[in-house]
Amino acid sequence: MVDIHLDAIINGRKVSRDVKPHLRLLDFLRDDLNLTGNKEGCGAGECGTCSVFVDGVLMKSCLMPVAKAQGATVDTIESLAKSGELSVLQKAFHKAGASQCGYCIPGMVMAATAALRANPFADREEIKERLGGNICRCTGYQKIFDAVELARDVQNGRVPATALLETDTADGEVIGKNVRRIDAPSKVSGRLKYAGDMTMPGMLHVQVLRSPHAHARIVSIDTSAALAMDGVESVITAADVPGKDGFGVFVHDQPIMARGKVRYVGEAIAAVAAEDALTAKRAVAAIKVVYEQLAPVFDPDEAMLPGAPVVHDYAPDNITKHIPIRVGDVEAGFAASDLVIEESYSTQAIEHAYLEPEAGLAYVDHDDVVTVVSPSQNITHHRHMLARIIDKPISKVRFIMSPVGGGFGGKEDMIYQGMLALLAMKTMRPVRLVYTREESIISTAKRHPSRTTLRMGLMRDGRIRALAMRMVCDGGAYGLSTEGVMRKAAILAAGPYAIPNVQIDTYGIYTNNTPSGAFRSFGALQTQFATESQLDIAAERLGLDPFEIRRINAMRDGDMTHTKQKLGSVSLMRALEAAEQASRWEAGAPTVRGPSRGDLNHDDVRPSVTLGTRFASGDASSEAAE
Amino acid sequence: MARKRGRGMAACWYGIARTATVDRAAAWAEIDDGGSAKIVTGVTEIGEGILTVLAQIAAHEIGVKPEHVVIGDNDTARAPEAAHAGASRQTYMIGNVVALASREARKRLVDVMADMWSAPAETIRTGNGEIWAENTNHRITMGEAVACAKNRGVVPIGSATFGTDTTGIKDGKGGDGSGRPWQAYVFGCQVAEVEVDTVTGEVQVLAVWAAHDVGRAVNPQGVEGQIEGGVVQAIGQGLMEDYQLKDGHTSTSGFAKYILPTSLDVPRVNSIIIEDPDPIGPLGVKGIGEPAMVPTIPAVMNAIYDAVGVRVFDLPATPEKILMAMREKDRRETMAPQAAE
Ligand code: FES
Ligand code: FES
Repeated sequence: MVDIHLDAIINGRKVSRDVKPHLRLLDFLRDDLNLTGNKEGCGAGECGTCSVFVDGVLMKSCLMPVAKAQGATVDTIESLAKSGELSVLQKAFHKAGASQCGYCIPGMVMAATAALRANPFADREEIKERLGGNICRCTGYQKIFDAVELARDVQNGRVPATALLETDTADGEVIGKNVRRIDAPSKVSGRLKYAGDMTMPGMLHVQVLRSPHAHARIVSIDTSAALAMDGVESVITAADVPGKDGFGVFVHDQPIMARGKVRYVGEAIAAVAAEDALTAKRAVAAIKVVYEQLAPVFDPDEAMLPGAPVVHDYAPDNITKHIPIRVGDVEAGFAASDLVIEESYSTQAIEHAYLEPEAGLAYVDHDDVVTVVSPSQNITHHRHMLARIIDKPISKVRFIMSPVGGGFGGKEDMIYQGMLALLAMKTMRPVRLVYTREESIISTAKRHPSRTTLRMGLMRDGRIRALAMRMVCDGGAYGLSTEGVMRKAAILAAGPYAIPNVQIDTYGIYTNNTPSGAFRSFGALQTQFATESQLDIAAERLGLDPFEIRRINAMRDGDMTHTKQKLGSVSLMRALEAAEQASRWEAGAPTVRGPSRGDLNHDDVRPSVTLGTRFASGDASSEAAE
Repeated sequence: MARKRGRGMAACWYGIARTATVDRAAAWAEIDDGGSAKIVTGVTEIGEGILTVLAQIAAHEIGVKPEHVVIGDNDTARAPEAAHAGASRQTYMIGNVVALASREARKRLVDVMADMWSAPAETIRTGNGEIWAENTNHRITMGEAVACAKNRGVVPIGSATFGTDTTGIKDGKGGDGSGRPWQAYVFGCQVAEVEVDTVTGEVQVLAVWAAHDVGRAVNPQGVEGQIEGGVVQAIGQGLMEDYQLKDGHTSTSGFAKYILPTSLDVPRVNSIIIEDPDPIGPLGVKGIGEPAMVPTIPAVMNAIYDAVGVRVFDLPATPEKILMAMREKDRRETMAPQAAE
C-alpha cells in the first residue's frame, strides 16, 4: 500500500501529510491527528457520532475515504470551542441537561449546528427532522430539542444570553435545583476521553478471534502462524490463564476465552496483541481452530426437556436459576374468584446499544499492579474476579472506570477485561482493545427474552383474589446476571398490589444463544408488562376504569409485599392521582373508547407526523450548505 | 379514518439498590484549601448525572457551591469501595454516603471554629462558601476557615459507610420467596397517548405522562432526563427493537438492521416528580433510573387497544403484528353473527 499525500484545512489549520489510503476520514482525524472528539458509534453511517463538516456540509466521516478530503476544509467538534469558550449551542446543551453519557453529543452538536445554520428559525418539529440521522440512546432526545430551541432563541435575540447561565443558588440551597451538569462542558466540546480515545506510548492493539459455531468442542487451537507474523507480540488462549478462570455476576461460569468448548456464536476463543490493529486482525485470521460440532439447543423450553443438549455440566437440566414466590393458596383463590383470566405474553431480546462500543486499555505499572482502564459498571467486582483469574493478590489488581458512553447494565459484565489484563502481563506493554459495533452486538449480553403465562382471579368488585405467573427466560450461553434478573422479576411480578394468594415462578435457562444479562429494569419490565396488560383486560371485563381497578388493589402504607416484607409509606396512590390529573384522564372502562375520547390531543401532546413524507421536500445533505 | 388515537395507562413499583443482599458503599470527603470540597468514592457516572448530584449533595452538606466540589476518579486502588453503577442505586447508596462523609468533614471544621469563636457548635452555620456563628459578628469564608483549622493542626476530612438493612429471600427448593430484598421502594404511573395508522399498522406514541416517586429530587432536570430516556428506551422495545437469532446467528448485527428510536419516534414526555422521602437514609432520596422504564410498554399496549381494539401480547408491536391482529379481529367480528345462529 502506497501512502497518499493529503493537503487539507482541518479546524482552520493547513495539514499536509502522508496517509494510508485505506483509512476513512474518521480514522485519519482520530488516529493520525488525535482529534478524538468525534466518535465511532457504528462505522456504518447509521448513528451520526462521527459527524463533521466537510466544506461546510454535515458528513458522516466513517463513510468517507480519507482521499476524498483532498483539498477540503474539514471542521470537527474541536473547531466549535477552539478558544475554550463554548458556542451558544454548546452552552445551551449544558444548560438544558442535553448530555447524559455524552457519547452521541459531539455528533449531535454538529448536526444541531448544521440545523440552525440551515434554518436559524427552525421550529421543534423541523429540528427533530434535521437531527433524524443522529442516534442518542440516553436522553430520549427531549432535552436535546430543548437545547436547540434555547440556542435558536438566544441567537435570534428572543431570549437573553443570561438564560444559558447557571441556576441561581445564592440562597445557599442547592438541593432541588437544576444545577448544570459538571461533566457537560467536556462532553459538548468533545474533550472528554473515553477508553477508545486514549492511547499510551508503546501501546499494542488487540483483536479477538470469535466462535463461528453455537455449540462445539474445541479439538485444537494452532496459533503458531499468527505468532510468527511480523508485528505480532502475543497470542493468548484459555491455556494461558494462570489462575481459576471464570467470571459472571452470580455464577462464575464464563471463561475469559472459550475453554474446551464454545457455547455461542461470537464467543471469544483467542486474542492477539500486535503493533497495529490491521496486523492483529490478520493474525487472528491465521489462527487455526479445529472444532467438533455438538448438538445445540436454542429454545429455552426445549432446553428444559429431559435429554436436551447440556450447555454446562454443572447444570444438567440447563436451569441457571428458578425463583419461587408463594403467598396463600392460589388454587383456592381461583376457585373463589368470580372471573379468572389466563393469557400468555412474550418479550424479545434487545440490545443495549450504548453508543460507545466496549473498549479498554491495560498495562502493568511500576509496582507490578495489573491495571485495566475500561467503561466498567462494576470495578469493585471485576477486580475481585480478575485477581482470582490471574492469580494475584487483590492489591496487585487495579480497575479504573473510564467515562462510560452508556451502560444500561450492559457494561456490568467483565467480558473483555480479562483478555486485556492477560495480554498486558504477557507483553509487559500497554494494550488496547476497541470493539466494532458488530462485535459489541454479537458478543455481549442482551435483555432476557421471556415467555410468560399469567392467571389472574378477580372478584366482581375488581379485587384480585389470586395471581399465578410462570415466566421462562432464555439466559443464553452463560449465567452473567441471569440469577439476579430472575429474582427481581419474581419479587416485583405481581405489581404493587395487595393480593392474598400469589404464586410466581421465574426460570432462567441456559441455551446456545447470545447470553442475556443485566439490562435496565432487570426482569421487572418483562413481568410487569404481563401484569399491567392483564389488569386492563380485567378492567374491561369488569367494566372498571383502569385507574380504578389499580386503586382497588393498590398496596397502602404498612401493607405486606409478596415477599412478606412490611412496607412503610407507599406512594402509589399519589402516583396514580398525579398521572391521572396531569393527563386529564377521562374515566371509563377500557372498551376501545379511543376514537370517542374527549381527553385527546391537548397541547402537551406532540403533533403526529406522516412517516416517510417529511424528507420528500429536500435531501438531508443540502441542509448545511449555507 | 385511517388513523385512530387512544390512551392507556399502567403503574409500576421498583426496589432501590441491590436486590436481596446487603448493599453498601463508602466515601471520603475533604474540605480543601480555598474552601472547595473533594469527594472520593468508588463508583460514579455512567451518564445519568450522578457526578452533579454528588456535587450538589456535598455542597449542601458542607456549605460550599456545587462548582467548588471536585469528585475523584473511580479507581479501585485509590478510592473506597462503592460497588456498581446499576440497580438504580447511585443516588441512594452513593448520595447518602457522600452526605454522611461530608457531614463528618464539616463537623471537624465547625468544631475548630466553635472553639475559636467560643460559640456552641450548634450555632455555627455554613452555606454558599461561608461559615458564621449565629447572632454574632463572626463570619468568614470557608477558605479562611480551612486555613484556621490547618493552623491548629486539623485537616477537615470525613469518611463514611452506608449499608442497607436487607436480607436474601428464601428462594431455595421449597422456598416461599420471603425476605426483605430492599429497604426503599418506589412507585410510579404512566399514561400514553398513541395514534395507530390502520392502513400501515404504524404506531406513534405522541405523549407520555410519567409520575414517579423519587424520594427527593436532588436535580429535577436530571430526574426528567432519566424518565425521558427510560420512556424512549421502553418505546424502542415496545415497538421496534428486536435482536433476532437463527440457529444462534444474529441477523441484526448493525444499526441498519437493529432499529433504534430516533428523534422522529419519540413522544412528548411530561414528567411529574413525586417526593415521598425515604425515612432511613440521611437525605430522603431514592432512585429513578430503572423504574422510569417499567410502565411504558404496558401503557402503550393498553393505548393501542383503546385505539383499535387489538392487543399485542408478543413484543415488539410491529406494524405487521398490528395489521395482522386487526385483520384477525375483523374476521372474527364478521364471523360472529353467523356463529351465533
Ligand atoms: S455514522 Fe459514522 S460512526 Fe456511526
Ligand atoms: S447522551 Fe446520547 S448516547 Fe448517551
